[in-house]
Order: sequence, then structure tokens, then C-alpha cells
Amino acid sequence: MHLPPWFWFGLITLISWGIVGLLQKLSTNHLSAEWALVWLAVGFFILEPWLYPGKVLFTYSHRGLEWALLSGVFNALGAWALLAALKSGGKASIVAPFTALYPIVVVFLAPFILHESISALQAVGIVCALIAVVLLSTESSTA
Amino acid sequence: MKVIPQGLKAKWFWYSLLCVLCWGAWVLCSKLGTNEIPASTMQFIFAFGFIPVAILVLVMKPVKFEKSAKGIAYSLGNGILAGIGGLTLFAAYRSGGNTSVITAATALYPLITVVLAVLVLHERLNWLQMVGLGFAVVAIIIFSL
Repeated sequence: MHLPPWFWFGLITLISWGIVGLLQKLSTNHLSAEWALVWLAVGFFILEPWLYPGKVLFTYSHRGLEWALLSGVFNALGAWALLAALKSGGKASIVAPFTALYPIVVVFLAPFILHESISALQAVGIVCALIAVVLLSTESSTA
Repeated sequence: MKVIPQGLKAKWFWYSLLCVLCWGAWVLCSKLGTNEIPASTMQFIFAFGFIPVAILVLVMKPVKFEKSAKGIAYSLGNGILAGIGGLTLFAAYRSGGNTSVITAATALYPLITVVLAVLVLHERLNWLQMVGLGFAVVAIIIFSL
């Protein structure tokens, strides 16, 4: 079976972020959500020396660099909004599945902004994934 | 008089909606960025986007410095793993796959968290999560076709 290159990259993302989900639970047992967010940002910067592209950075298109920076701002703002939702009385069992629905925004906007379309089978896969994410984000009970 | 559903009056609802919209925008910006620059540079610049938000969070609600070594270690690990996951996500977008499919596939990460929570934290799956596992497996099979 031939799997597309994105599948393997996506699998690493899935596993890394899956572990992040567990560490988030563990970190907020010891820290406030605000400090957990700050230290998470520090964790990003630990990787920076390996990611720094060197002088070639200044030759890249400004537009590409602006999208990258905006991507970081939006991701962090989303994390803050999630935190604020939980702080303002939202139950984790509702807020977590709700916020996991962000791929819907992408599915609706991708045809207009990215000029991409999806096949019927991919649409079925996306619907299954969205149902899975909502159900998996419900709270577990402790043993 | 039209009755406004209770949920729409709640602050948490609007914050959650803001989260969904911000993360949707994050994906679209990520795809547009990876059309122009390599995945590693995307992740390098992406990290700087967290600085203004982290400052904003601490200014809006100043909280005393917390020095729990365990908490800090877990959070740093979080950042490193989230960064590695982000890097490979950018690589996936750059590889030319469909953005909606990649986003939906990688959004399945609670699958791993739930399994780890059972193995490490000894949590029990509720029946909804078990059904969710089934849907996740079906989705992954479809995406791999």
C-alpha cells in the first residue's frame, strides 16, 4: 500500500500532540494555566537553535514570513480563548469537543481561500474524524 | 419575543467560538506560509507569535511566579513536543496534500491522548470515547486510501 508523504508527517504530528494532551493534564496539576502557557512557549524556543535557517532567512518572501508569524499569533490566541472559556465557567466536557471542531472552519474556507476541493470519500473521512474528535474529547472517568 | 438560547448568553460559548475561529485561521495561515517557505522556517517564525500573547495573558491577569519543577518540566516537554508536531504539520502542508484532509487527520490527536490516559493515568474510557475510537480508526483508514 502506498501512503502519501503527508500521511507520515501527519502521523508524527498526531503522536506528538497526543502526548502533549497528556502532558497538559499533568502540567496543570502543578501550574496555573497561564504559567503552563508561558512555559509551553519557552519550550518552543528550546527548539529554535535547530530550526534557525541562517542568513537565508532574510532572503525568504516577506509574505511567507508574515503568514508564519500570523499562524503563531492565531494559534496562541486560540489557546488563550480556550483557557478563557474554561475560566469563565465552560465545562471541559463541552468546551474541549467544541473547540476540537476547528477543522470545520478549514473545510468551509479552503475552497475559497486555498482553491482546494475534496473528494466524496475524503468528505466521509473528514466527517468520521470530526465525530471521533468530539466523542474522544469527552471526559474520561478515573479508575 | 424571540428566546435566546442560554448557551449564547454565556461568555464561555463566545470564547470557545473565538478559539475555533482562531485555530481555523492558524491552519489557513500555515498553509499559505508553507506555500512560500520551508517547514523548519515556518516553525522558527511561528514560535515568535506566542510572545505577544504570552505577555498579554500575564498582563491581563498577573499571577505570581510558580516554581513547581515538575510543572515546569511537563510544560517545557509540552512546548518541545508541540513544536515537533507543528514542524511535521507544516511539512505535511508543504508536501502538497489536501489541507482539509490533513487538518482533520491531525485533529485526531485526542485518540493518542485518550489511549495514553488509560495506560499512564489509569483513566477509564466512557462509552462515547469507545465509539469515538471506532470513528477515528475508520477516518484514518479512509485517509490512507
